[in-house]
Amino acid sequence: MIPVLSVVYLYDLNKGFELSEYVISITYFTLYQSLLSALFATIIGCLFAYLLIKHEYIPGVKYIVNSLSILFVLPTIISIFGILSFYGEFIDIYGFSGILLGHTILNIPLVTRIIFQSLKDISPNERLLAQQMNLNFRALFFAIEWPIIKKNIPSIFVLISFICFVSFTPVLILSGSPKYSTLEVAIYQAAIFANDYNNALNLLSIQMLICIVIYIIFFKNFKSRNFIIDENKKYLLLNSFSYKYFFDYFILSMVAFLIFSPILFVVVKGLNTSLIQVLNSNYFWPTLGTTLIISFFSGLLSIILTYSNLILLNKSNKISELWFYVLIIFSPAIMAIGYYIFFNEILSFNISNIFIVILINSIFTLPFTYNYLSPSFFRITQEHYDISESINIYGLRRFLIIDLPRLKEPIITAFCISSILSASDLVIISFFGTNSLSTLTQTIYRLMGSYRMEEAYAVALLLLIYCFLYFIVSYKLVLRKWNTL
Amino acid sequence: MPAEKIMIKKLLITFLFLTISASAFAKEKLIVGTYDSFTTEWGPGLEIEKMFEEICECDLEYIATSQAGTLTNNLFVKNKDVILGVEAHNFDYSTQDYRVYDYGYFAFIYNKENLKNPPKTFDELLSRDGVKLIVQDPRTSPVGLGLLRWMKTIYKDNFKDAIKTINKKIITYTPGWSEAYGMFLEEKSDIVLSYSTSPYYHQEYENDYRYEALIFEEGHLTTKEIVYVTADSKQKKLGRQFIDFMLDKDVQNIIASKNIMYPVSKDKDAMPKKMAKLIKPIEIDYPQLLVAEDLISEWLKALVE
Repeated sequence: MIPVLSVVYLYDLNKGFELSEYVISITYFTLYQSLLSALFATIIGCLFAYLLIKHEYIPGVKYIVNSLSILFVLPTIISIFGILSFYGEFIDIYGFSGILLGHTILNIPLVTRIIFQSLKDISPNERLLAQQMNLNFRALFFAIEWPIIKKNIPSIFVLISFICFVSFTPVLILSGSPKYSTLEVAIYQAAIFANDYNNALNLLSIQMLICIVIYIIFFKNFKSRNFIIDENKKYLLLNSFSYKYFFDYFILSMVAFLIFSPILFVVVKGLNTSLIQVLNSNYFWPTLGTTLIISFFSGLLSIILTYSNLILLNKSNKISELWFYVLIIFSPAIMAIGYYIFFNEILSFNISNIFIVILINSIFTLPFTYNYLSPSFFRITQEHYDISESINIYGLRRFLIIDLPRLKEPIITAFCISSILSASDLVIISFFGTNSLSTLTQTIYRLMGSYRMEEAYAVALLLLIYCFLYFIVSYKLVLRKWNTL
Repeated sequence: MPAEKIMIKKLLITFLFLTISASAFAKEKLIVGTYDSFTTEWGPGLEIEKMFEEICECDLEYIATSQAGTLTNNLFVKNKDVILGVEAHNFDYSTQDYRVYDYGYFAFIYNKENLKNPPKTFDELLSRDGVKLIVQDPRTSPVGLGLLRWMKTIYKDNFKDAIKTINKKIITYTPGWSEAYGMFLEEKSDIVLSYSTSPYYHQEYENDYRYEALIFEEGHLTTKEIVYVTADSKQKKLGRQFIDFMLDKDVQNIIASKNIMYPVSKDKDAMPKKMAKLIKPIEIDYPQLLVAEDLISEWLKALVE
């Protein structure tokens, strides 16, 4: 709440508020495009996750799943350049269809990663049982995967629609005209460009009101049973390569191409003559170091915050989940200004900027960490709650003995995601960054802002490599270590 | 547990590192708030800092923002001694302690190989069929706003129609200059809105002579960058020394060649050689300030209706 209260601190009650026709029309458009984008991203993302699980025996699948998360880290502008380069040639991309395509491509990876994570929790026994009952493919799907997907749909749908609701760069570039605009653009204009905090807060109130309505509609109407998971998860590959799955393979490769096209773009553009120059520059290595520090600590803090909140949530009723989602719709521009006011005007002592960046990043990434961690967490606690209560295990001990060993995979995934998201942040770092405190993502924008496109592409490629390594090292090192506990 | 120990160790090391880097300096300190491309390794800032510190025996510190438009935000201005890089149209001239340190002209840039017979007037551009333009969104970019001011100055009462006509050629409005220019270099459009000095960058640093500015007979709107001493500064004397220092001919040359803008100094050493060879547009007569909010709402009305 701090950031919003800090901006409210500047609110002038004497000024009136009028709702112009333009604001009404963009509000309507914002809502429409975000729901539609979320619908497409959710459907395709779920389908993709289901197919990936079904065909896990294909050697490449593991890599596809792990690289999904890396897609979020690409600076939006680079992803959009990728989308423009691949699809701009075939269709008239600027306009409503472009926004939908862009938002869908940008958000499918998130949906797929979360659904995939939950589908991994399906007990092999359940699968075996279903197979023995000789259920056909449709019955199999509705008996096993569908309940899990269904349970995840409301939270994912809300998450994605909120992300699209506050979309800024994709909407501005892909819309092609101010006719299609989001409230966030108007908020940004009011808050940062026109210094009109009143207007910004009024617009933000509309934004929050609508988003809370979306939340209530989708959370109230979709609830689903919980189910059992097996602790002894052994890989059980029921399927193997077969020509009857031709259609599945076709869809798999199509979606994979669709969402990986931005990465392909970065690899193609990044392998240029400036690459060596970047590696030899004075700025690259220190920036890499800062990026590493920010991503590591933000990820860590985000996990700690999510876990402690999950413990609290488990005890009270579910409505407090809203808290996580509200974080997204608080408009990044307002959040950053709010924190800026808070740390520079309201707090009387100075805090090192790197701490602020880490702190805000870890808060910004909470909705995502929450989405990765919560499905597995609730299932684990349901099973072990009584036992841990009866033998009096609480706090850190409970985390280390009960939860950690069972949650290590989702925890590592969530940690990596929030780290990567923090590395890709541009809003917070642009407010609190200094000469010596800068991230790779910010460097990409700075290079672009100084005509240095080739260098920017090269840094984007290096950022991509950094993320791959970050994932590999986290999984390999940490999972191995914990396994030997 | 080993994992935990390593984590604590890492935490401590980072903490130590941060404390050391935050330690105070004893010299007088001048805090300059600016935009971040000024202070990057490839920008003019670091060199100027070094030169100024040799003279003033003080410690110059930049605090840079990467949000366009924040330089005029009161929140940012607070606690700074000098603000560097405010666009002249946004400056309130409430102080005498200011200097214009560079300037340029808004202009459309094109690639000679892709666009033959470039339009010679703004009218010709508007009536030209089949050209694709990328410009910046005036709601989020000073360059985009510059286009509205420029067009309003030329077209006055016909502004609305001119906006509608040019909109048909504009494939998209980007959030900032970087996105627009980047898309143009990716050949997503034939023409991009930038500055008339942009070709200098490609000539000087890439030895690439394909890019040129469209020079219009109607004249071009100028954009000037201002450096000023803030009203609340406790280092006014040092601040004044700094803003004067910005007009030194060597400093001017650094600014021109790294900021890709014209130097204000008339000294022949101030102007980079290749920049001197560019065609300099005629400055359009811009009698009074056009208010941003009014222009934007007029623009929105023209396009949304």
